[in-house]
Amino acid sequence: MNNTIYGVTGIFETPDGIIEAAKIVEKSGYKRFDVHTAYPIHGMPKAMNLGPSPLGYFALVFGLTGAFAGFLLMTWIMTYNYPLIISGKPFFPYPAFIPVTFEITVLLASVGTVLGMLFVLFKLPNNSHPLHDTDYMKKVSSDKFGVCLEAKDEKFSEAAAKELLISAGASEVGTIYYDEETLNFKPNIFDVKFNVFLLVTAIVISGATYVLLNKLMYTEPFNWMHHQARIDAQVPSKFFGENNFSMRTPPKGTAARGFAPYQYKGQPELAEANLTNPLPPTRENLEVGKTKYDIYCSPCHGYHALGYARLNGQFPNPPSLHSEKVRNWGDGRIFHIITEGQNSMPSYSTQLSKEEKWKVILYVRALERAMNAKEEDINNDK
Amino acid sequence: MINNWKNDYVAKPLPTKALLTGFVILALGLLMMALAFAIDHQRAAFNGIITMMFLLSVALGSLFIIALEYLVSADWSVPFRRVAEILSVVIFAVPIFAIPLFFNMHDLFHWTHLEDVLNDPILKSKMAYLNEEFFSIRTIVTFLILFLFWYLLAGRSFKQDYAPKANFIKITTKFAAIFMPIFAITLTVMAVDWMMSLEPHWFSTIFGVYYFAGSFTTALAVITLIVILLNENNYMGKMINRDHYYNFGGLLFAFTNFWAYIAFSQFLLIWYANIPEETSWFLHRSEGSWMFVSILMVVVHFVVPYILLLSQPSKSDPKRLKVAAIWLILVHFYDLYWLIMPTYGKHGAPFSWMEFYPLVVSVGVVMVVFLLFARNKNLLPIGDPKLPKGLHFHL
Amino acid sequence: MSSDFLHEPSVVEGRPSFADIDRQISAPLDQKPDYKYFIALGISSTMLLIGVFFIGITFYYGIGLWGNNNPVGWAFGIVNFVFWVGIGHAGTLISAILFLFRQKWRTGIARFAEGMTIFAVMTAGIFPLIHVGRPWLAGYLFPYPNQHEIWVNFTSPLLWDVFAVSTYFTVSFIFWYVGLIPDFATLRDRTTSKIKKIIYSIFSLGWRFSNRHWKNYEMVYLILAGFATPLVLSVHTIVSFDFAVSIMPGWHTTIFPPYFVAGAVFSGFAMVQNVLIFVRKIFNFEHIITVDTLEKMNKVILATGTMVGYAYAMEFFMAWYSGNQAESFVFLNRALGPYAWAYWIMVSCNVVFPQLFWFKKLRRSLPFMFVIGVLVNVGMWFERFVIIVTSLANDFLPSSWAYFKPTLTDFGILLGSFGLFFTLLLIFIRTMPVISIAEVKAAIHGSQPTHHDHERGEYNNE
Repeated sequence: MNNTIYGVTGIFETPDGIIEAAKIVEKSGYKRFDVHTAYPIHGMPKAMNLGPSPLGYFALVFGLTGAFAGFLLMTWIMTYNYPLIISGKPFFPYPAFIPVTFEITVLLASVGTVLGMLFVLFKLPNNSHPLHDTDYMKKVSSDKFGVCLEAKDEKFSEAAAKELLISAGASEVGTIYYDEETLNFKPNIFDVKFNVFLLVTAIVISGATYVLLNKLMYTEPFNWMHHQARIDAQVPSKFFGENNFSMRTPPKGTAARGFAPYQYKGQPELAEANLTNPLPPTRENLEVGKTKYDIYCSPCHGYHALGYARLNGQFPNPPSLHSEKVRNWGDGRIFHIITEGQNSMPSYSTQLSKEEKWKVILYVRALERAMNAKEEDINNDK
Repeated sequence: MINNWKNDYVAKPLPTKALLTGFVILALGLLMMALAFAIDHQRAAFNGIITMMFLLSVALGSLFIIALEYLVSADWSVPFRRVAEILSVVIFAVPIFAIPLFFNMHDLFHWTHLEDVLNDPILKSKMAYLNEEFFSIRTIVTFLILFLFWYLLAGRSFKQDYAPKANFIKITTKFAAIFMPIFAITLTVMAVDWMMSLEPHWFSTIFGVYYFAGSFTTALAVITLIVILLNENNYMGKMINRDHYYNFGGLLFAFTNFWAYIAFSQFLLIWYANIPEETSWFLHRSEGSWMFVSILMVVVHFVVPYILLLSQPSKSDPKRLKVAAIWLILVHFYDLYWLIMPTYGKHGAPFSWMEFYPLVVSVGVVMVVFLLFARNKNLLPIGDPKLPKGLHFHL
Repeated sequence: MSSDFLHEPSVVEGRPSFADIDRQISAPLDQKPDYKYFIALGISSTMLLIGVFFIGITFYYGIGLWGNNNPVGWAFGIVNFVFWVGIGHAGTLISAILFLFRQKWRTGIARFAEGMTIFAVMTAGIFPLIHVGRPWLAGYLFPYPNQHEIWVNFTSPLLWDVFAVSTYFTVSFIFWYVGLIPDFATLRDRTTSKIKKIIYSIFSLGWRFSNRHWKNYEMVYLILAGFATPLVLSVHTIVSFDFAVSIMPGWHTTIFPPYFVAGAVFSGFAMVQNVLIFVRKIFNFEHIITVDTLEKMNKVILATGTMVGYAYAMEFFMAWYSGNQAESFVFLNRALGPYAWAYWIMVSCNVVFPQLFWFKKLRRSLPFMFVIGVLVNVGMWFERFVIIVTSLANDFLPSSWAYFKPTLTDFGILLGSFGLFFTLLLIFIRTMPVISIAEVKAAIHGSQPTHHDHERGEYNNE
């Protein structure tokens, strides 16, 4: 039941009339009154004696917040959290931060000001205000101008308010009532309908989320690159006939590059007879040979191939490589020993490539010659 | 009611005291200039470019403002058009300050040293444009064109006060339209020739726009300052109100931002791409004390005027607006100094009394030209049919 | 007679009453549309469906279906993106910049132009998404602490674009919606349909036309306009940075930012003008969207077209002046090389034809201005094509030069973008007031109090 008075309204026909009326109402001491017009009227804030709008400060505060937050976030990310040099720029490339800082400033300032105005300053949305759905509102939203004196004003009395409006030149005056109960209606959270609604909403949302995240996101073409247009190894493939695989066994006798099989397994004499060192004793070859020798051979044989070294005592000492026997061996024999191992020495095939073995041999020969230098070597050097 | 401004406005002669002050300032400035040329003619010549480009900013900018008013048929600015028209007479003073520079071309422009140019493939390829003959022709032709358009846009307007022609606005609007492309070309040519070619290897397509942003702001600031000063002493009738000032303030604010936008665009693109032939220009401006000058540029040319003009009351309060206008005029000198002097003082910013002569001379020239020319003129375009509307302008 | 300078052409022709304005502007919402509307909707939605089809097969088979090749990695996708973002700029210019300049003639077209901004940005946003190939991963473009524990690259202009375009969309949308609130309230009080009333009530947020609100509302409008103005400059500036921060000849030039902005406004105005010619005819808005308004738009087109011409000339001159061989080659190659046809379409449509607007008669002739508007948009599309494709196709290394040929899919998606834009626009026309009721009311004769306080100093800071 509409029984409480909200206020008294007056309708005016012209913009001049409403400005005058606003001045009169303001001068007569009313504080809680409002002017309703379909568009902003020039000079009305002054006629109603309204102060300046605070929204400029909203914009300033939000804008500064955005500017600082944006710039500091970027600085933290690019300079401290995950520093990366990108296109030759320093870790703190501040000129490159300016565009985004500007955008964040504008975004925060605009959104903040508008939302602040609508929801904080105006307390909208408010579709249950007593003025809604009245004849008065229908008129002022179209082509009339209206003043409303609210009942909450200290000076308010219905008759006096009406008189004031008529004396100000109102063409129509009326009273607006509202129902306190409907306005102050509070919903009950244990209401069955409401709870069913909540339940249904929860089921729908969680179901939809499940389908989206676990099903839809993995249907074609959203395959996250799990399926690609290529053949995986060791997968059955009919390309080479029935019961075949995508990976083929190589033809007989195929050898991978750099993995040529060793021909003289268990035949050191043959190796000695048939293998010769293909590499010349150049400086580069000797240096590689020295490096490899120092890494792989020297722990047992010693840096100078004398047979005692760092592992002395933990392994049986190998014999010196400067013995007559070794010196007279062909290069092929040493190659064979490095490849197959001998006595307690294992094979070094996995550590040394073929080339490297020959280089090590060159170095061993150089060591041998250094230990048993002859007169003419010096002369040769000259 | 529409004609009640006639009761307010009485043409009064401007005070001779101001004119005398102007003459004194100008004489002092010219003395400084002569002394500077006698002591260090190279340094004086570089400062001479600052003088010339500043006066050109004022003159070209006010011509542009006049033309713009006709083109967009603005009402609010009609009462101030006469101030702009009188101010644009400065255009005739600019070539005077170009003359001493022509005698010091070798001190100013590296590309005038033929032996260096021939040894430098890049400069050699520019010889068709950067040579002394063509350079002089361009400058002279530019001034002749500007003189002509001064007459067409501003000069013809003075007769309107007493013998108004009916189709004056229509015809002048057409001239204004023709002037716009010519303005763009002349301004760019002057900026490229006199400032960009100081470092002949460097190039930037935005340079003309950069100079435009500065010159428009400056001309507007000078007009604002003059209008406020005239109005404080009641030379323009009683109709000029805060809404007029608000427009000046708003435009100054907008163009402060526009300048910053253009300057930042130029800097960012060159900084980011980091191509040696472009970056060198900014490197010169970050060597030694130039670094300090460059960083301060951001503050004085953007931050300070931005804060000065940000709030709404500051745009319409003549006292605060005056401060902002003076500030913007001074920072244009600073800007020109930053553009021109690094070519002279490569390793640090040169600074002594000599760097002040452009300021003194320019202030003197503007004062003398304005006050001398305005002596027996109306300060409102009283023959303009749009004047009442302009005076009655409200937001 | 010189008195015609004193007469300010009214925003609205004739002297409609406030009620007339309500009725006329809400007419398209109240009446059943006639067959012309459905023909238009049919055409545009067909175009949209074609686009959807081609985007669909692009998703399925990948962007190998496009004409992009090895040096030309950016082609139609980015051309269309820049084109559509540019179209949007006119809307903000009309609603924000002309508002700040207090150009009253904007009143009749501002709402519509803002709507076009939003739809154009939506259309533009599609292209970068589909160009990345896996649009469902677009979330990684935003800096949030993700499971990879890596951040986006804040020094990349492409990321600036993400921020610029999304900010631009948000702010334009807010601007548009703030303008719509009072109009929804007017419609709420006019409508007789119950469902419509509920919808309008929700969207009007319960606006009460209070002058205590209007005061703040006007302030917020001013603030938004003040923010939108630099924002609109920044958006196309950042788009131009995508190109200009590189060292690609023809891309790296300092005039790009203002030049792109001028070009964007130029093409946007042409698009707004084109669409308005139809709208005013179909919905009888001839007296609100007047020929005077269209003429003013044509003047803006002329001005911005000339600015673009200045930029072309400046680029060409500086390419020679720089003494940089790659740079001067690119420009000669544009004018005389394999893409000369595109270059000359661009120059003639953007610089030459708009010069005809110097003549008042042509400026006021509807068919003529329509043709020029179309040509401007063609020219501006080709401008982006020329910038992007010619520079990429013939860059530093002649051995990797290639000629770009668009495929059917490219054209299908381009057509689809127009379809999307016009479909959204047609829906907008039918569902919301395309002209701001409150603003038009405030701008017509006799809507404001007749007397002002003329005494000095009694100025009120609204």
